[in-house]
Amino acid sequence: MTDAPQPMIRLEGLTKVFPGQQTPAVDHLSMDIPEGEIIILVGPSGCGKSTTMRLINRLIEPTEGRVFLQGEDVTTVNPDALRRRIGYVIQQIGLFPHMTIADNIAVVPRMLGWDRRRVRARVDELLETVGMDPGTYRGRYPKELSGGQRQRVGVARAMAADPPILLMDEPFGAIDPITRDRLQNEFLRLQADLRKTIVFVTHDIDEAIKMGDRIAILQQGSKIAQYDTPERILTTPANEFVEQFIGHGASLKGLTLVRVSDVDLAEWPVAQAPLDRGALRRQLAESDKASLLVLDERRRPVKWLTLRDIESPGSLDDVGLPAEPAIVEPNATLHDALDLMITSYTGTVIVTDRGGAYQGVVELDTIMRRVDEVRRAAVERMRKDEPGSVPAEDLAL
Amino acid sequence: MAVPGAPTPTAVDVPQARAGVGRGGVVRGLRYVLTPILLGLVGLALYVWVSSLELDSIEQRTLNADFISTKLWEHIKLAGLSTVLVVTIAVSLGILLTRPGTQRLAPAVMALTNIGQAIPSIGLLVLLGVTLGIGFTYAVIALVAYSVLPVLRNTIVGLQQVDRSLIEAGRGMGMTKGAVLRRIELPLAVPVILAGIRTALIINVGTATLATFTGAGGFGDLINNGLRLGRDNVIFVGAALTALLALTIDWIASVAEDLLRPKGL
Repeated sequence: MTDAPQPMIRLEGLTKVFPGQQTPAVDHLSMDIPEGEIIILVGPSGCGKSTTMRLINRLIEPTEGRVFLQGEDVTTVNPDALRRRIGYVIQQIGLFPHMTIADNIAVVPRMLGWDRRRVRARVDELLETVGMDPGTYRGRYPKELSGGQRQRVGVARAMAADPPILLMDEPFGAIDPITRDRLQNEFLRLQADLRKTIVFVTHDIDEAIKMGDRIAILQQGSKIAQYDTPERILTTPANEFVEQFIGHGASLKGLTLVRVSDVDLAEWPVAQAPLDRGALRRQLAESDKASLLVLDERRRPVKWLTLRDIESPGSLDDVGLPAEPAIVEPNATLHDALDLMITSYTGTVIVTDRGGAYQGVVELDTIMRRVDEVRRAAVERMRKDEPGSVPAEDLAL
Repeated sequence: MAVPGAPTPTAVDVPQARAGVGRGGVVRGLRYVLTPILLGLVGLALYVWVSSLELDSIEQRTLNADFISTKLWEHIKLAGLSTVLVVTIAVSLGILLTRPGTQRLAPAVMALTNIGQAIPSIGLLVLLGVTLGIGFTYAVIALVAYSVLPVLRNTIVGLQQVDRSLIEAGRGMGMTKGAVLRRIELPLAVPVILAGIRTALIINVGTATLATFTGAGGFGDLINNGLRLGRDNVIFVGAALTALLALTIDWIASVAEDLLRPKGL
């Protein structure tokens, strides 16, 4: 265990027995958490994952065992000072309703004794970071924000003093699925720049696969069933418990591991105003597609035009199939793309950049090629790990 | 008498300074202005009426500015001091009884303060007067015993209703227990605690009238004099002044409640 660089967090024989209970909530848990990664603790309710997280910042004191941060034993340091070094986000967010957004974010910096100007600059910087205009939101109160905005502020508050470690307890648990998806993507984008060490608790395996660099699947008593990358957990689950926990469709879930930006986009014939029937007809005939994609003046997708639309008597403005909602950004997963593709009018998904300008499309072929690659890699790994024991049905797609 | 007219401009500003000025704001604004005007008019009417009376020498001894202002001051001292003591005792006790180690004691203490309030106020006053002694100090003790319950109960309830996740968030960010209490729990409990204090204040203004029976003065002296000497006018003025004082203090308390409530709630 002493190989490689020093882990950011090391748990050693961590045990918690709550008073009046026989079985430990956390039973001799040892694990290393490397710097700059998102580690997901995932497991059924009551498995001790939240308790484990609170043992790290000592909101719960361990019965036994030790916690090391960057090699320093923090089991005996002042817990309040320790927590100021660790960002903490909880499901209920816990923004203080009687403080403005700026005051909420400034809590830890002020406790650390930052001067007023530095605090103010930091608050504005963080609001920018999470995509909220400081001028608009600085002086507002939490009740004036939407759930998604509150969650953003919660994350900003946890990062206020720039702690190297962030603990997040089901941070997106209480948010509607669409907002949750967007916040997850935003958070991953942030993390790509910040490279914090993040311990993230969830009970949702799909969220774990999407967010985690590594996943620890926990059983009763916080016993590690498997601690590995999402790919390996999906392709080679360590035991029956992991298999059951992942549930059906592990291969389909594997698509959430690949982002649209990781695959080669396909081309699609596009047209921009002014639209000319003759040119459109010619363009369509030269391509092997059944429709053209019309873009607006900023190259944002507007609608699909088929030959039938082009031949129709009225104005071209009134015909065609809307491009929405089959549009994704490059950080969307192939799973999202496939999902939209199934309901899309043309069987494809349009990819745009963050400003909404057209970049290319993802087709079913694109996804199949990727699935093939993943399958072949898994087969390779199986052959290397356990020669001659490939359970073929696990790999069938 | 008390404050008619004067606080009107500030009172009008209050609702406008706050976030949502809707219908509620307008209604509150009217209440801020109308209550003192009404109380002032009643006070004026009382004055005009008393001035128009032909007072005999006995009535004159009671119904003059000197005597009334002495009694007013005594009354305010009785009610004010007992309320300050109640707030000090009950809020500290309430904080203590919501801390993890000591909250088991809360039901017992609540039962004790319930007894204090269950005894009729005049009984409590006389009981203390007979056993301990008479005068200002013992009257204040009786008033405190009688009005500690609403403040204590509201402090406990106010602190208990603070969302646990806020406390967890505060602790998780590295706030000490004291800082969580000072900066999160107490501010969020303020509206409930203030409501309790307002109740205690009104109880004290009313009950202080009875302090006359243990020689502690106050408006009760007017009423008592009128009763003993058979002067209905004196009884009436004493009762009316007590009511006016109670309503004025209640109005001040309601304005204070609005001003002290933390923003953002």
